[in-house]
Amino acid sequence: MRFDEQQIGDIVGADNVSTTPETCMIYSKDVTSLPEVAHQIVSPRFDVITQPVDVLSLRNLILYALDNGIPIVPRGNGTSGWGGAIPTRGGICVALSGMSEILYFNEFESAVTVETGITWRDLLTFVERLGFTLPVYPSSATAATVGGFVASGGLGIGSTRHGDILKQVLGIEAVLPNGKIVRLGRLLLDSKNDELKEKVEEGNLWLSKQLSTAGLGTPEQETKLFTGTYGTLGIITKVTLKTIPKLYLLPFACSFDNMADLVKVANIIISKAKPYYLRFLTDNYTSKLDALNEYENESGKFILTGALLDTIYRNEDNVEIIKTATNEDNGAVLNDKRSRYYWNERFYPLRVKRHGPSIVPAEMLAPINMIPEILEKTKTELRNSKIAIEGMLSNDGTTSVMVWILDDERKKVSFTIGWHRSFKFASLAQRFGGLPYAVGLWNGRHARKYYGNDAYNDLKVMKKKLDPRNIMNPVKVFGGRVTIGRESMLIGFLIGFIGTLIAGWVIPRIPILVQLIQLLDSSLLQLLYFPYLVIVGLSVGLVGLLITRIMTLNQALAMGIPLLRILSKLKRK
Amino acid sequence: MTKLDFLERYGQEDEPYVCASCGNCTLVCPVFHELKWESYGPRGKLHVVKSILEGKSEFGKDFAHKIFLCNLCEHCTSVCTTGISLDRFWEVVRAEVRERGFLPAPAQFVLKSLKERGDIMWMGSADRLLWMEDIEEIVKGRILKKAKVAYFLGCNVSLKSQLHDVAKSMVKIMDYAGVDFTLLGDKEVCCGAPLGWAGNLKDINEMAEKNLEIIRELGVETIVFSCPSCILTWSEYSEYLKENQNIELLTASQFISRLIRERRLSFEEQPMITPTFHDPCISARVLKATEEPREIMDYIPGVYHVEMNPSRQNTRCCGSHGLLDVVDPILASKIAEVRLRDVTVTPATRIVTECPRCILAFDLAKFTTNYDILVQDITQLVASSLAPKDEGGAKDQ
Ligand SMILES: Cc1cc2nc3c(=O)[nH]c(=O)nc-3n(C[C@H](O)[C@H](O)[C@H](O)COP(=O)(O)OP(=O)(O)OC[C@H]3O[C@@H](n4cnc5c(N)ncnc54)[C@H](O)[C@@H]3O)c2cc1C
Ligand code: SF4
Ligand code: SF4
Repeated sequence: MRFDEQQIGDIVGADNVSTTPETCMIYSKDVTSLPEVAHQIVSPRFDVITQPVDVLSLRNLILYALDNGIPIVPRGNGTSGWGGAIPTRGGICVALSGMSEILYFNEFESAVTVETGITWRDLLTFVERLGFTLPVYPSSATAATVGGFVASGGLGIGSTRHGDILKQVLGIEAVLPNGKIVRLGRLLLDSKNDELKEKVEEGNLWLSKQLSTAGLGTPEQETKLFTGTYGTLGIITKVTLKTIPKLYLLPFACSFDNMADLVKVANIIISKAKPYYLRFLTDNYTSKLDALNEYENESGKFILTGALLDTIYRNEDNVEIIKTATNEDNGAVLNDKRSRYYWNERFYPLRVKRHGPSIVPAEMLAPINMIPEILEKTKTELRNSKIAIEGMLSNDGTTSVMVWILDDERKKVSFTIGWHRSFKFASLAQRFGGLPYAVGLWNGRHARKYYGNDAYNDLKVMKKKLDPRNIMNPVKVFGGRVTIGRESMLIGFLIGFIGTLIAGWVIPRIPILVQLIQLLDSSLLQLLYFPYLVIVGLSVGLVGLLITRIMTLNQALAMGIPLLRILSKLKRK
Repeated sequence: MTKLDFLERYGQEDEPYVCASCGNCTLVCPVFHELKWESYGPRGKLHVVKSILEGKSEFGKDFAHKIFLCNLCEHCTSVCTTGISLDRFWEVVRAEVRERGFLPAPAQFVLKSLKERGDIMWMGSADRLLWMEDIEEIVKGRILKKAKVAYFLGCNVSLKSQLHDVAKSMVKIMDYAGVDFTLLGDKEVCCGAPLGWAGNLKDINEMAEKNLEIIRELGVETIVFSCPSCILTWSEYSEYLKENQNIELLTASQFISRLIRERRLSFEEQPMITPTFHDPCISARVLKATEEPREIMDYIPGVYHVEMNPSRQNTRCCGSHGLLDVVDPILASKIAEVRLRDVTVTPATRIVTECPRCILAFDLAKFTTNYDILVQDITQLVASSLAPKDEGGAKDQ
């Protein structure tokens, strides 16, 4: 990759660039520990890490990347695990945590505008001091950035009442892969201090034209092009989010002996009490929460926990609803202290990881009512694995189901092979009407299903228009060619070569061909056969190598996943 | 492949793999806050350790230096999703830094000073008596006296003249309350904490034992400390204390609030003092002693304390812990300035705390930021608020 560190330093500030191998390694990771073999298809590290501190230097950086054809990948704080923020072809990582100001707050409009590098925790602290809170924030709020969650979409704390995060976005500002700065939806700002006004007018004019040629709406209507698309169409620099009054928060928790009862009660609570937050923890999750060891009523049970956020009076009524439903369905309502414990635990879904010490994640979005069946099936399919399952319930009849498969990455072979379980769970999810929870890099194969056919087609069209050189977070969501490691190229070559040799040995021994060959037999043919075979073998080997060079991510996965499955079966035998 | 078998020696080999990479630790780390790059934050350093374990990175000088750019402030540990004792982990890695000969020069000096002088400042035992000037009357006959309560000053309070008033205040309070207490005087040696910070974990017990042997002989049941790190070190590393739970270790404010509850201290109305309490990392996050200092301030008439944000378990480090003040004084003072900024947005007119390192750090930060505010130890606030002696409380039997 051709890049000039000094030139990048001139653009974003010398202190905001690093090319040290250690920094590049660290910023190239997200929460998922990948098996080594993954780096046969995606590059192990970025070439440069940058931390721009304002929109104009970010824009200039994008223009630099465009001029030089260098991939550019936005990164919040790397707390996601779907590969959205990791490198696929090296290039420039744009860490956005240096852009973290709160720009605008208006209680009458119930909205706050921030730079996207701010963490949810810092934003929450700010709005809560003013008597407000956020309708939705992720359970990674302590570290995740506003930009990262808005770019990923997804359910969070508050989704049981307010739906997913994308519904809370009023407007955004983004820098496109061609350096144009645009604003979509309703971005609220103090217009007196708006230094980007002219650039935005120009950018929006250009974007409007592109949108209308694609048959889409105005920038005002098309925020969703950039939210939930993992930074593949542009880097989001500002977001206006809804805020809600911070009413009286009342955590609650109930324990059950089985998932069917839990789901029944969850449905009642969602429809009647309209809680702010509702999460379930299954038996194999609670049995691994060490802090529950002394609570017989909780360890190894199914826990339904959440919080009401309403007036004191309405909360009181709703608590009665929760109590009655729980008692009627064989559950036990836990006391305030325990409820608060689970509320505080909302930020720590990965507590159980110590039991691994590594995790292979498997996640999906599924209809709430299917959960008992999905759980049963998952337990049977993954009966030889240590697992812990939990999820967050939404207000639209769906829930996230997070299956943490506990493993040990130090056992390299079994850890690598064990990844097939994650894919196995994804296909199981589909059988039950579920969807992958997120797309990022690894679920790009399911992107069409995830976004819906029409929306996905629109995204594809716009990707081509906005990013014809495919520099913005390449291979994510839309797939594409991958960087194949030397080992894989060698394997491609060997498969071609050895396959040809074997074919050359087997084919002449097929009975009819034997006779034919005997008929044509001459010592000359015998002599010429093997050198030719080797030459053909080498050529086919080269073709094999070439195929690996031009393979797309989805093709690589389509070949790799069944291979892992076969290996795992062999291993078990 | 395992080039870091020392992790196994200390039972830490799983920890880099247990890390979920959630980033909680990095987002609270004062060093990351200043230096901005993940390679200076805890999550990044764990990634590097993992990479070294896998033979992909070097345990070189640069990494060794970064390991010392850390306050051992327990903030990362307190927020870790997967319950990694990160501070313990950093100390273990520091031990390996020392093994490999990469110890930063200031840390080498500290080790040498501890070995040859028994303190961190190359002074010596005779200097541990200097703080008693002007209060000879109170301390007379206290040194190595048999008593149930011992006051352990620690190196900073004993040896830094700037902090002598902390010790004077503590003994004044004890004397006022009629506590029968003892002092180790020139027999006191460093508690051993800086040994661990400088990568020598194996000699801490011996150093603690030098003090504890005397303390045991004096029949002490309660030790009161002016420095929370001494308490942490002894509870973690003293073999004797681990096996025998018969000696309690208290922070100054834990002890003072007990005296207040026993009605052994009475106070004069103060002329409207508005302090803010800076929770020292170790007392807040490890010893969980956050309420006692506030109770004390609430008890003194005329003292109206205001809260800083963040506070209690979420307190910010003063920047001076874990040898950072000697390894990288500029970074340390920048961290102190950040904490001082938290004070500036409150109406507080003084900072009260209970750790000598914090006092030194803020005194320096006051100077570098030109922000004039009184910095005191809680004992100083208490001692200066006591009502005249004849109204004092009951005496120990
Ligand atoms: C403990 C824990 C709890 C979690 N809880 C939840 C949860 O409740 N719900 C949920 O959905 N997920 C959850 N996650 C996953 C993850 O935290 C979220 O997706 C999170 O919002 C990612 O934020 P980030 O700042 O770390 O982004 P990153 O992981 O750095 O990036 C995520 C994606 O967004 C892109 N991106 C980042 N910033 C921008 C930007 N400014 N503009 C354009 N693209 C950008 C990246 O390229 C990448 O594709 C959790 C993770 C952990 C570790
Ligand atoms: S102990 Fe403090 S300074 Fe050191 S890594 Fe943890 S948070 Fe950072
Ligand atoms: S908080 Fe703990 S689990 Fe999370 S990144 Fe830091 S060390 Fe790892």
